[in-house]
Amino acid sequence: MATAPPAPGPKVAFDVRGLSKVYRTGAGDVHALRGVDLQILAGETLVLLGPSGSGKSTLLNILGGLDRASSGSARFHDFELTGASETELTRYRRRSVGFIFQFFNLVPSLTARENVALITEIATDPMSPEEALARVGLADRMDHFPAQLSGGQQQRVAVARAIAKRPELLLCDEPTGSLDSDSGVQVLEAIVDVTGDVGATAMIVSHNTDIAGMADRVIRFRDGRIQEVQPNARKLAPREVSW
Amino acid sequence: MKALDRKLLRDLWRLKWQVMAIALLVGCGVAVAVMSLSAQRALAGAQDAFYADSRFADVFAQAKRMPASVTRDLSRLDGVTTVDARILESGLMDVPGLSRPAIARVISLPDDERRALNRITLTQGRMPDPNRLDEAVALKTFMEAARVRLGDRLTAVIDGRAFTFTIVGAALSPEYVYVPAPESFMPDDAHQAVFWAPRPAVERAAGMNGAVNAVALRVAPGASVPAVLADLDRMLAPYGGRAAYAREDQASHAFLAAELKELSTSASILPPIFLVIAAALVHLTVSRLVEAEREQIGLLKAFGYRDREAAVPYLRLAAVIGLTGAIAGGLAGGGLAAAIVDQYREYFRFPLLEPRFHWGAFACSAGVAIAATMLGSLAAVRRAAGLSPALAMQPLRPTAYREGLLDRVARDGSVDQATRIIVRNLERFPMRATLAILGLASSLTLLVGTQFLFDSLDKVVDQAYYRTQRWSESVGFAEARSVAALASVQRLPGVFAAEPVRIVAARLKAGGREEMTRIVGLDPGASFQRPLDGLDRPIPFKGRGLVISEALAARLGLEPGDSVRVEVIDGSGPAADLPVTALARDYSGFAAYMPRRELNHLMGEGDLASGAQLLVAPDARPAFYRAIEGIPQIIGSSSRDDTVANWRQAMAEAFRVMISFYVSFAAAIAFGVAYNTSRIALSERARDLATLRVLGFGQGECAYILVGELAILALAAIPLGMLGGQALAHGLVAAYSRDEMRLPAVIGPRSYGISLLAYLAAVSLAALLVGRRIWGFDLVTVLKTRE
Repeated sequence: MATAPPAPGPKVAFDVRGLSKVYRTGAGDVHALRGVDLQILAGETLVLLGPSGSGKSTLLNILGGLDRASSGSARFHDFELTGASETELTRYRRRSVGFIFQFFNLVPSLTARENVALITEIATDPMSPEEALARVGLADRMDHFPAQLSGGQQQRVAVARAIAKRPELLLCDEPTGSLDSDSGVQVLEAIVDVTGDVGATAMIVSHNTDIAGMADRVIRFRDGRIQEVQPNARKLAPREVSW
Repeated sequence: MKALDRKLLRDLWRLKWQVMAIALLVGCGVAVAVMSLSAQRALAGAQDAFYADSRFADVFAQAKRMPASVTRDLSRLDGVTTVDARILESGLMDVPGLSRPAIARVISLPDDERRALNRITLTQGRMPDPNRLDEAVALKTFMEAARVRLGDRLTAVIDGRAFTFTIVGAALSPEYVYVPAPESFMPDDAHQAVFWAPRPAVERAAGMNGAVNAVALRVAPGASVPAVLADLDRMLAPYGGRAAYAREDQASHAFLAAELKELSTSASILPPIFLVIAAALVHLTVSRLVEAEREQIGLLKAFGYRDREAAVPYLRLAAVIGLTGAIAGGLAGGGLAAAIVDQYREYFRFPLLEPRFHWGAFACSAGVAIAATMLGSLAAVRRAAGLSPALAMQPLRPTAYREGLLDRVARDGSVDQATRIIVRNLERFPMRATLAILGLASSLTLLVGTQFLFDSLDKVVDQAYYRTQRWSESVGFAEARSVAALASVQRLPGVFAAEPVRIVAARLKAGGREEMTRIVGLDPGASFQRPLDGLDRPIPFKGRGLVISEALAARLGLEPGDSVRVEVIDGSGPAADLPVTALARDYSGFAAYMPRRELNHLMGEGDLASGAQLLVAPDARPAFYRAIEGIPQIIGSSSRDDTVANWRQAMAEAFRVMISFYVSFAAAIAFGVAYNTSRIALSERARDLATLRVLGFGQGECAYILVGELAILALAAIPLGMLGGQALAHGLVAAYSRDEMRLPAVIGPRSYGISLLAYLAAVSLAALLVGRRIWGFDLVTVLKTRE
């Protein structure tokens, strides 16, 4: 369907062609993705919008190496995700991808610092947990356990955990979905700041159309297809986004 | 079906493996109770029926020779209802196919079958023709073990006279349900021959025309057996009577009674262990379930369900686990009882021994099992009932953790985060960790505490046959003979050395207690048999003092330095007060030792020996055995190698089944506890682990977090389980020791090794089953789910 214009300048991080995903259920086949074509540039911030079941999360999962496409191809630089083995996908997630979840998914038995260290211990060229936490404004909360932190703080720990490995790709699934607006803004600021610093490509899935202003491009999904790709002439800062 | 019932069924299905692991333990508990008590009922039933049918006597006595008219006098004794007199003689017999002569007992058949006691039951062939002097029936067990067939002709040498007869029938006898060999209490059926022949034939063979030498009595219900025994001893003394004894001391009956008691012991020791562990696992599992379903519970209450209605399904869940286990245990117990009864048929020869199912034991153990599982769930059920709906429906805050031991010892980065997760979880839920450790330890306890039986038996054999007694063959004389007779024994083929021994039966009395025993008279410096102390040092004799076994001393409350009343039963029945000079450590039988010279002196007799202990060249044994068959004075012979081999074989057979039960039961506990603990850990941490997978952790790294916790618990349980095993070994030794054998609580490296292997195998299997679930994680769902 809609294809991103080939950009001569920045490098292409993701090259997605004819990507489809079919879930076989007892009630029949569910087509979650129907032949998606998309090119994503390195350092670009995309916001994926669309109603439930439109395919945005499915695309995120496939690009994150969590799920496999039924057909088509998804190439991250030189790495072809479709057809990769489980071990290769684990290595890909470990080296290249940072995840931020709607429900934070921190390990409750580890402190903020240790939750970040969990990732820096297995990454190749990470920043220190302290640095990552300082970047999200939690330098004074490093030795707190998740139970001792507010929702916004917990999500900022999750952001620190995601960016500490200096990922090339940051995938955020409804990162502000469980937060009030103040906390949400703080978290988005953290995401924007640190992706800028490490030069990561960010993909944010959201129901919230208001945060679309932060994106370089907004991708709208409907029925497993990309309905519209809308570049933003001017990216808004998280503070300017209101909901 | 109500919605809540449907939910219960689905919960059960979802938790099926955990439910099954707990039900397995409940089942083991019920199975042991049903198995032991059903086997006991079968055995006791067969015993009662056979004893009643055969009119098994209450009291037995033997004498050298008494007139047949003694029957009339004995029947006038107070409390005696029936008297049966007979001739019972022993000798050696060469049986084709056996390397060593068998001991042959020949018993006269009653003239009037209807009035007789200890009647035999013919299982094959016919009874001997009363008018023939060369027909006999033989004990069925002997015929089977020695491969003797109907029509075979055998010759027993009795008192120097050859008695040749044809076997015309096979029979069972209440006196020989179990036939222990003289030197051990293990069966040696091929060498334990019993024959019944018409009275004239036995009279002629034994040279007992018109006389008898054995009586059996029935005592009226309520009459005093000790009084009858005393009267008998008094009345038979003039005829050379040996100590009369009651049914309890009759070899076959005593062994059977001990077996029946052991079955009760098993039924009361093991099931509680299983049920307590099962209850603990129910507690952990249902607590976790209530925790995971707190929102649903809150929702039900918000919709108007009462506290009780919202909580009762969890109680029912526990009851269903108990019921499932109880039914499975009942079925398994019935099957195992049948297997045990099958094995009993090899040892205990009854005309009819059929498996039975003890419904009472089943009902009772099933009731206790269901109550135990429900009790285990009670804390969780209460929690469910007490949840306030508003709080229950609020999203759960992350579980609060704090820094602990590991953080104090390793604050720097020397410990990885995965290990921190493991240690903090253990510290956060100390109660659960403790229960898991106790459960795992109990399985190891059961393994070590039962495996040791093999080591213990080795010790018994070693002590009895290689330390205390060191002869290779021993022979017994019909009558005590001059020690000069030893010279003729020494000349037998292959005999390197011979030492005389004098053995008499005696009653030892002290402090109002009395015990029957045999006094073994040994020469000072004897090397083939000598009493040993606790450190395996030979105990020297002092004057005419007695050295008695520790167990006998304990029975009589005696200590070295005390005096004991000795009433000899053999010979003229002399009595004396003798000092106890030392205690000997032995593990089988009750024995007292004194210098042979002093014993002969006590008997008022010269330099006599009642037997000899020999060292025979192994390759000369066949010639040696052939030679002793020709010596009429020798009526018994034993070989250490055969005795030990028999012993080991019989023990291995007897324990194999029991030990394999214990090993399976213990493995079931280890598996049940390990599986449930890891399953609960998995359900609590599934989201954390899946998150780690998304973040780039490999399956192995996630499995480490899950299985690492179990590994720490399992390792922590090992020392505890070993100590528990030692304690259980001591307990079992106390519970299972019999007069014939006292098991020492020695545990060798082999027992520890096998126990550890079985334990680790069971825990590893559980770890594998739970750990492999990490490979099946759905990574996508964790992104969207809140716990």
